[in-house]
Amino acid sequence: MRNRNVKSSVLKLAAAAGCGLLVGCSSSVVVLSDFPTPLIEPLPVRMGVIYDAELYDFVHAEQIPQQSIWTIQLGDANIAMLEPLFDAMFLETREVEDLPVGPVDIASLDGVIHPVLQRFEFDVPIGQRDEFVEVWMQYGLSLYEPDGQFVVEWTVSGYGKSELTRNREQSVERAAIVAMREVGAAISTQFAEQADVAYWLEERQNESALAVDSRIAN
Amino acid sequence: MNPRWQSTQESPIRSLRPARLLLALAAGSVLMSGCGVTSLMEPYKQTDAVIGSGEQVVVLARKHHASHEAEGDFVECISDALARGDNGIEVHPSTQFEDMMYPWFEPSTAPLDTGELGELLDRPGVFEQVESTGVRFLIWLDGSTDRVSSGGGITCAAGVGGAGCMGLAWWEDDATYDATVWDIHELSNTGTIHADFSGRSVMPAIIIPLPFIARPQAKACRGLTEQLEQFLTSPAGDGEGINLG
Repeated sequence: MRNRNVKSSVLKLAAAAGCGLLVGCSSSVVVLSDFPTPLIEPLPVRMGVIYDAELYDFVHAEQIPQQSIWTIQLGDANIAMLEPLFDAMFLETREVEDLPVGPVDIASLDGVIHPVLQRFEFDVPIGQRDEFVEVWMQYGLSLYEPDGQFVVEWTVSGYGKSELTRNREQSVERAAIVAMREVGAAISTQFAEQADVAYWLEERQNESALAVDSRIAN
Repeated sequence: MNPRWQSTQESPIRSLRPARLLLALAAGSVLMSGCGVTSLMEPYKQTDAVIGSGEQVVVLARKHHASHEAEGDFVECISDALARGDNGIEVHPSTQFEDMMYPWFEPSTAPLDTGELGELLDRPGVFEQVESTGVRFLIWLDGSTDRVSSGGGITCAAGVGGAGCMGLAWWEDDATYDATVWDIHELSNTGTIHADFSGRSVMPAIIIPLPFIARPQAKACRGLTEQLEQFLTSPAGDGEGINLG
């Protein structure tokens, strides 16, 4: 009887230790931040934006050797970063569900943007000499005509680093926010400079000018 | 009292005294020679610009280097110290400034010289936004505090009769920073202050570890702040390096 009690205690201890190890070996980060509205001139186009479920619910899970299993939730931050960004970049933006857009939107939109978070990589150093947590992420921005015709895809990346503190999760979150701000900076300052995008914008402006001319002629 | 015992055998407590004294002297000399901060400040002011009433400064960290970055708490230390006191300078919060000027002061987009700053201010709405913050001077902090060497060791043990440590550990930190001041109104580089503070900390352990920690980063913050105050309030800089050590 006493032997059974000892065994039971040992099992309980092992289970507790196992649970402790499991809890201790997993790190969870929810990236939450307010992103500022960029100080830029809006491009003269009205755009639809597709925020799909993958972007809304993006979670990166990775086991780092000698460390732990990391889960990093970026869904809310994706939307918090992209919404004010596109609102400032274009004359008008509207969320659309799918392509081709509905009959109302097809007449009132110049194009549709579909952002996708393609890659997320991060590094949490082990050594004391390494001072920074690093995050690298890559988004793909696909530009479509409202009828669903593909125009161009542009990949844009951002890098962020943050001082490694005792709170490793917080350091990863900070580095991710820096990387996302970098992505936002690149999109807002370089989108219109991409050759295919610049050509597409020129076409839209020519179409607008023609439409104005025909209205004046009538 | 037994006089015989006294003459032939010393009290165990007494016999420890010279040893303790020697140990204390040794530890003291190590501490005196080892613990401390050496410093070098080199301020160089190029213009006569001074801060006017109602004008503000903002302290920003240079973030485009892969290897180092001025620490957030160091930026905060300089900002707080400049704003402190009766004659404190008006300091705009760094994060708020970066948010208001987004995306133009991110690591990849921030201007690297006053020429690029001029180009940035020519962009639509940017100069007006800077004006609305009230900021006239940008103070760029570049550098970091790094551990350059360390050595020694402390061993601790615990037993039935008690616990204790024995040994000596030391480490040396180097705080090297450049503060570059830009005048937004004049679109010019007002000057640069170079600060190099080095400090060696020691921790002897005789039963209890006793840390004697040198804080070169805190001293660099104090030194840079004093120089920046002079920079921003005195019309002419002497351009000479001074040693505060």
